Amino acid sequence: MASQKRIQKELAECTRSPPPGMSIALASESNLHKWHVVLQGPPNTPYAGGTFGLVVTLPVEYPFKAPAVTFATRIYHPNVTNDSQGSICLGALKPENWKPASKLLGVLEAVRALLVEPMPDDPLEARIAEEYKADRKEFEKNARAYVARYAKGQPKFDGEAGGAEAAKS
Amino acid sequence: MESDRDYSADLAAQEAAAREYQPQLEGPLVGERTPSHAITEAYAKADPVYVQKTLALPQTYSHYRPVQGDGNCGWRAIGFGYFEALVQTGNAQLVGAERDRLIQFPILDHSEMVYEDMRDEVAFLMNDIQAAMPDQEAAMDVLVQKFNDLDVANHILYYLRLLTSSFLKGDPNATEYLGFIPEDIGVVGFCQNYLELPGREIEHVGILLLYNVLLKPCAMVIEIAYLDRSPGPEVNTYRIPSEAEGRDPSSLGPVIYLLFRPDHYDILYPHPPPSAAHDIQVHRVSALSHEHQIASNIQNNFQAFGDGAVDMTALTLIPGVSGLGMGMPPLAAPAPSSIESYSPSPQSPWMPSPFADAIPIRQPQPQLKQEQPAPSRRAMSVVSQTVGSRTPPLRFSEYCHPQVAENYTSHEPCFTTSTFKNSHFNTAHYNNPNFQPEEYRPEQDESNYEVVRPTGKRRSH
Repeated sequence: MASQKRIQKELAECTRSPPPGMSIALASESNLHKWHVVLQGPPNTPYAGGTFGLVVTLPVEYPFKAPAVTFATRIYHPNVTNDSQGSICLGALKPENWKPASKLLGVLEAVRALLVEPMPDDPLEARIAEEYKADRKEFEKNARAYVARYAKGQPKFDGEAGGAEAAKS
Repeated sequence: MESDRDYSADLAAQEAAAREYQPQLEGPLVGERTPSHAITEAYAKADPVYVQKTLALPQTYSHYRPVQGDGNCGWRAIGFGYFEALVQTGNAQLVGAERDRLIQFPILDHSEMVYEDMRDEVAFLMNDIQAAMPDQEAAMDVLVQKFNDLDVANHILYYLRLLTSSFLKGDPNATEYLGFIPEDIGVVGFCQNYLELPGREIEHVGILLLYNVLLKPCAMVIEIAYLDRSPGPEVNTYRIPSEAEGRDPSSLGPVIYLLFRPDHYDILYPHPPPSAAHDIQVHRVSALSHEHQIASNIQNNFQAFGDGAVDMTALTLIPGVSGLGMGMPPLAAPAPSSIESYSPSPQSPWMPSPFADAIPIRQPQPQLKQEQPAPSRRAMSVVSQTVGSRTPPLRFSEYCHPQVAENYTSHEPCFTTSTFKNSHFNTAHYNNPNFQPEEYRPEQDESNYEVVRPTGKRRSH
């Protein structure tokens, strides 16, 4: 736990100058290792107009182990599991790629970039990736439908990994 | 749709499992100083090249310190070696100066927030060492404890990685390393994908760089012993810098000795220079606990090579344990004919000093213990009986103390059978599973060798 200083500074950096459309807060003031991020769907994407919750979990070994980032809000995306886990496939977070010199600001930027430009060649949802490649219109329609269904209003972070329950009812 | 979901869930689960996966690593990050015979024992059943090289290892290196093989072992071993060498200098001022040098080193391409915790841990470590310094043992305790705290060690080792990559990036002569750096990634890519990737093993260029940034300013030298399958009776050693090659260690600065086995580094400690006889006594005592392993090594050697080629002369230095008895004369008067018929090969390389050195201290058997509580005294009394007053109280191994050994070992009797006869490999020994009491037959006194030899072959049980 010798990294408290660094986590504090990273948090300060992320809150001070977050990636566009993001706001960052601690899940609870007493725990530096769990962050709640609210992400506005980037403009000119099917996700525009949606508000997504992200949970950033820093392992105790951080920065020597990669942080975990999951969607608390359901999203229709080739690189995010279409379930209540909301796991993200992000190259930089893979254990073999993670470097202690990487910063969370960069990670959050990468997550946002993933919404702007999905990576269908490294998918978690093969069917959605296929659709993204073969029938972009249909993909965008489905993605927008998910936004309308799940990503309106303030995201809910209830439960460890967020979840489908976070959908607006 | 349903099957797609299963598929993706599987993938996610697999990915999560990969993320969580931790190889099961045993032991401390940096272990205790351990007698190097342990390495010999570990390789006793390996292929002959390893057996030969590991048998020779304890001649040069008395101890080693195991380092955990988690992909950082090269960094860990050299880092630990550096701090240990600083402690060994006994120079607290130097520790302070080195601390200042390391924490002021410009780290390139990273913002301070990324590395300040790491830099702080290095500073804390060196402060603690400095504070404990008049007492080197206490300073070593600090070092061992810090290096075994995973979190602290991660910080310190990553700072070493950053020092190294910053040194490479900032070095105008970096071209000399380019030959080692994959062309397609260049210096920056090499830093990102090799030097700064935790768990990525240090490679030759990494060692060169770490030497330059960390060790060279204190005139430290790395000596790496390569334990591999290359032909040769001993490990090959290699020094960094190469100018240190072939020079006497006393003319060099502190030397960090490493043992390299493919993909792994441990720390080695050579024997102290042979300056005083009491050094040798210390080694002998340290070998006490290895009675069993040495016996098993012998056994393995015999299995591997058969008894015909074994150099029995080394074993003549070993006094008997049980059957020899105080009054038994054969040691004093070996029959020349039996030696000839045995035809030992004197230069056989896999009978190095550890045997001669350690076996004399074998624990006496329990009943004997009551009569002869001190095995070494026992050994001595045998010696004095057999070769008289000119023998020193200790039998020097020719490897520990060449001159002395030369002068005295020539007086040792060249009788080659008592070792077998008195070991538990002999069926006549009560510890042998196939114990067969031996009958005394006076007419066989001159041909002990023939009596014993078959028992040598029985070792495969």
